[in-house]
Amino acid sequence: MLIFRKPVEGIERPQMPADVVIAGGGPAGMACALRLAQLIDAHNAAHPDSQLSKENIYVLEKAREIGQHCLSGALLDPRSMRELLPGFEKEAPLDAEVTKEAVYFLTKKGKFKLPITPPFLRDHGNYVISLNRFVKWMGSKVEETGITIFTGFAGSELLYDGDRVTGVRTDDKGVDKEGHPKSNFEPGYDLQAKVVILAEGPRGSLTKQLVSKFNLDKDANPQTYGVGVKELWEVPAGRIAAGEVIYTMGWPLTTKEYGGAWIYGSKDNVVSLGFVTGLDYADPRLDPQRVLQEFKRHPFVAKLLEGGKMNRYGAKSMPYGGWWAIPPVAGNGWMILGDSAGFLNSARLKGIHLAIKSGMLAAETAFDALIKDDPSAATLGGFQKKVESSWIKEELWKVRNLHQGFAHGMYSGMFHTGLQMITGGRGLRNRYPAKAGYEHMRKLSDLPADGGGEAHLLGPAKGDGKLTFDKLTDLYHSGTKHEEDQPSHLVIHDTNICNTRCVKEFGSPCQNFCPANVYEMVDDASQPNGKRISLNPSNCVHCKTCDIADPYQIITWVPPEGGGGPNYDGM
Amino acid sequence: MKQVPQKDAPLKLNESGTWIREDVSYEVNEPDAYALEEALRQREKHKGEVVVITSGPARAQQVLREALAKGADRAIHLEDPKFVGLDAFNTAKAFAAAIKDETFDLIFTGLQSDDYGYAQTGVILAELLGLPHATIIMQIEKTESGIRVKRELEAGYFQFVDMPTPAVLTIQSGINKLRYATLIGIKQAKNKPLRKVALADVQTAIGENLQKIERLYVPQKTKKTEHIEGSPGEIAKKLVDKLRNEVRVL
Amino acid sequence: MADTILVVVEQREGKLNRVSWETITAGQAIARATGWALEAAVVGASGASIAAEVAAKKVARVYAIESPKLEPYTPDSFADALKQFLGSRQPQLVLMPHTYQVRDSVPKLATAMGRSVISDCVGFKYESGKLVFTRQMFQGKLAADVSFTSAAPWFATFQNGAFRGDKAEAGASATPVETVKVEIADGVIRNKPQEVFKEAKQAVDLTQAEIIVAVGRGIKEQKNIEIAKQLADALGGELAASRPICDSGWLPMDRQIGSSGQTVAPKLYLALGISGAIQHLVGMKGSRAIIAVNKDSEAPIFEIADYAIVGNLFDIVPPLIEEVKKAKAGS
Repeated sequence: MLIFRKPVEGIERPQMPADVVIAGGGPAGMACALRLAQLIDAHNAAHPDSQLSKENIYVLEKAREIGQHCLSGALLDPRSMRELLPGFEKEAPLDAEVTKEAVYFLTKKGKFKLPITPPFLRDHGNYVISLNRFVKWMGSKVEETGITIFTGFAGSELLYDGDRVTGVRTDDKGVDKEGHPKSNFEPGYDLQAKVVILAEGPRGSLTKQLVSKFNLDKDANPQTYGVGVKELWEVPAGRIAAGEVIYTMGWPLTTKEYGGAWIYGSKDNVVSLGFVTGLDYADPRLDPQRVLQEFKRHPFVAKLLEGGKMNRYGAKSMPYGGWWAIPPVAGNGWMILGDSAGFLNSARLKGIHLAIKSGMLAAETAFDALIKDDPSAATLGGFQKKVESSWIKEELWKVRNLHQGFAHGMYSGMFHTGLQMITGGRGLRNRYPAKAGYEHMRKLSDLPADGGGEAHLLGPAKGDGKLTFDKLTDLYHSGTKHEEDQPSHLVIHDTNICNTRCVKEFGSPCQNFCPANVYEMVDDASQPNGKRISLNPSNCVHCKTCDIADPYQIITWVPPEGGGGPNYDGM
Repeated sequence: MKQVPQKDAPLKLNESGTWIREDVSYEVNEPDAYALEEALRQREKHKGEVVVITSGPARAQQVLREALAKGADRAIHLEDPKFVGLDAFNTAKAFAAAIKDETFDLIFTGLQSDDYGYAQTGVILAELLGLPHATIIMQIEKTESGIRVKRELEAGYFQFVDMPTPAVLTIQSGINKLRYATLIGIKQAKNKPLRKVALADVQTAIGENLQKIERLYVPQKTKKTEHIEGSPGEIAKKLVDKLRNEVRVL
Repeated sequence: MADTILVVVEQREGKLNRVSWETITAGQAIARATGWALEAAVVGASGASIAAEVAAKKVARVYAIESPKLEPYTPDSFADALKQFLGSRQPQLVLMPHTYQVRDSVPKLATAMGRSVISDCVGFKYESGKLVFTRQMFQGKLAADVSFTSAAPWFATFQNGAFRGDKAEAGASATPVETVKVEIADGVIRNKPQEVFKEAKQAVDLTQAEIIVAVGRGIKEQKNIEIAKQLADALGGELAASRPICDSGWLPMDRQIGSSGQTVAPKLYLALGISGAIQHLVGMKGSRAIIAVNKDSEAPIFEIADYAIVGNLFDIVPPLIEEVKKAKAGS
């Protein structure tokens, strides 16, 4: 019997008042906290008789340590960091400055280098970083300001009063597999906050609740996502230069799938590489972790990695929808930042700098709200206006239709992209529509039994143990750990659909799209199809792919007990 | 309490091959978390003050912060990267020097550390302080004359021991469910006293290490896999033969 | 007693703790390598009979260190008695088995003498006149060679199973036993131990098991675990499992071996129907002998197995149980 996590009912919860609660300690959340501290400090210096306190400003981070759940390639465009902390390059952990970029189109055995790197993929002036280490550093700066970061605490649900968001409830700790409190049970706190800022990263769980409750997405395109599967390698010296950036398109994907790979040379012969697969592919048997393994088998990549050692593995989704998929980002008592809102430039494949900028603008709005003591939409709506008049809009406007252009495959996608480039992002019309990714998934009955041209992407990777790895082995290198005795945080709203319909119609794609072996169909003679859904929730790397890609949309990812999850040291 | 590399952290050797590279994630030594839990429970029963102490570089402070967040009253941090290189004897000497002006009724340590696994520091400290001690303790009860502890022995045996206080006890792991730090606890921890002790302050108490790690290395396994073949009956006989003569369990 | 190795054997309730034979073997090996003399000691209220047993082995001398106050064991009495003895004899090296009792007393003894202990060693090396002790660190992930930089006596304890007790060489004739009476002053002993008693432990401690029979997915159904249990019983070992078995509730969580369960290193690990995913391997690859039975010849478990049986465990285990029972019955 699968018992799913939900807040314990009928208990008294400790109440804690707060001025601002930032749910999420990633680049957006940290930038927001830092900027807010700067504004408050400046105000306090100028107004000794009407001081604002930082005592009641909190950042909630579900990981055990700051940065532990942060995963990205990553390349940082320093534009917003320079605004936030001029001179930050002197103390921030930057691994290398980008010196060389190349874009390749791969075929099964060959490769073609694009003679000119498209302008949106030029990275000179950017830095190769480890997002995990960068956020750790940002966190240390936030702590210096006196703002408290609660690590190991997740935001499990929002608190409302009518159409106002009045706070965040943290996770219940010490609940056993059956949903009963254990002897060390600690109820989640109700943080009654004037302003709640959601900075949870892609497909935030609180954000999903908020959007659904207030129908925030009714005028926006449905958000679309990709999943990035990453491995961190150490290779023999001389294979790739620190600061060398390589993008690839094509193999192993066909023209029908959206996605590509990155390879970044970092310092100390460390290579960050990964494959992003758009979560709008047709064949439910496609396995994004397998796609990465197939990619590595390409002679170009295999040669780069030969004799090297894989040290870390991880996966995370990313929002591709662009400008038209961003819902309203402010309301009564709430604001949404970073990847949770969808501030990601899918052409440049960068979102960290936009997340940071959104954090800064939200901080300015939150500061306004504290000064005026008015966290209503009237004041917080200022955030929406700030975003629309900032370089966030400027940058995202130019690529507002990019991902949608690929709805019919690579060639038409490239045509539309070319057109968009010379029309300031417009292309054929101002706003291209979009379909949610899971709606692209076809039933098995509509697809060739052997997978056709996509056969090499379907099903689990076997791995040779040296260059390629099976999913379980890769997963081991994500350092994922959770309290074992807790309810499943992957909430499946109707497991009968899994056992009766999905297994026949789609062949249980959860087994394939989850990069962490959380979902398994096990033999069960009592089921009509002989199989039953079984979960290994403690394998979860918090990528949210299941919440996004499930064709019936019956999976809701909620945060497990705080402190659990992957350990993306160095990622 | 001790801060140790996280259990699944990938470990790399330093250049001289005598220790690990410190760019890994750290966490509290799990046996020490049980010692802390037991201390907090004793305070709940008998009132008093729980003080936590650790030695190590700045990063080790995290262990103390977490302990304070769980309810410890104050902390002592012997802060210096050089503390990492002290052997158990010197570490205990440093602790003894740091607490020489205090009087504790009970001193707890975890069973052993997850990195060294020596299981010595608590016992050495007891001897240095001239206090009675007992190890691998499952239960502690207050008595008229001191305490009665339940000691774990091998093979499922146990023993009660009556002891006077003050005393040093090493606590068995897994005897209690560890409590969680609460938001209030974490906030309050920021204002609890944390005394820093520099290496110079205890320098006169410690001496040269009495031991040295000559070499730290990845253990090499020279393994040859022997295939056992035949019918099930034959395999069974061959296997029993191996079990008797090679593995020596029969 | 310079250039002498002293093995302190352990006595429990008047009987010799058999793990002491392993320490004798270790002592004999070090003696051969270094050329030092090997002596042994038993500490207790009356060690005569135990001393006689030890005297049958190839050791130069045996001491029975006696005091009525040594019964029952307390760390105060034990450390005091040995300190007196060692203070006058000053051997180069003192060896003991790494038992709970030794852990309780030896660090105190060494500290009282201003010396230190290298504990839980799995071996030693003697190269160019330098003696180093090998021990596992970071839960077996790394090994360390540790040396003493102090004056004698040096203290080292050996891990259970690091040496073979049955390889302790017998002496040509019985070694003379010297009784050494020690006076333990009043007030030295502060602890008052009560009777030792046995209790069924609530959670099984697989880390203490010498033999483990573990099942994986290959066991197919919960009811099949019975034959694995029979094998474990026949061998006198404990039953354990890989993660999926415990997740399904077929065995309790405290029987789980692997990165989210226990890490064990028994004398014998028998893996039945376990594929050998890395999450499981990290929990048992330190086992001294690994036997794997699996239908799949490519199962990763075979890479770390000492003995590999590619076949159906349901065919293999029943005859194996019979043969084990026959062997134990005394053929």
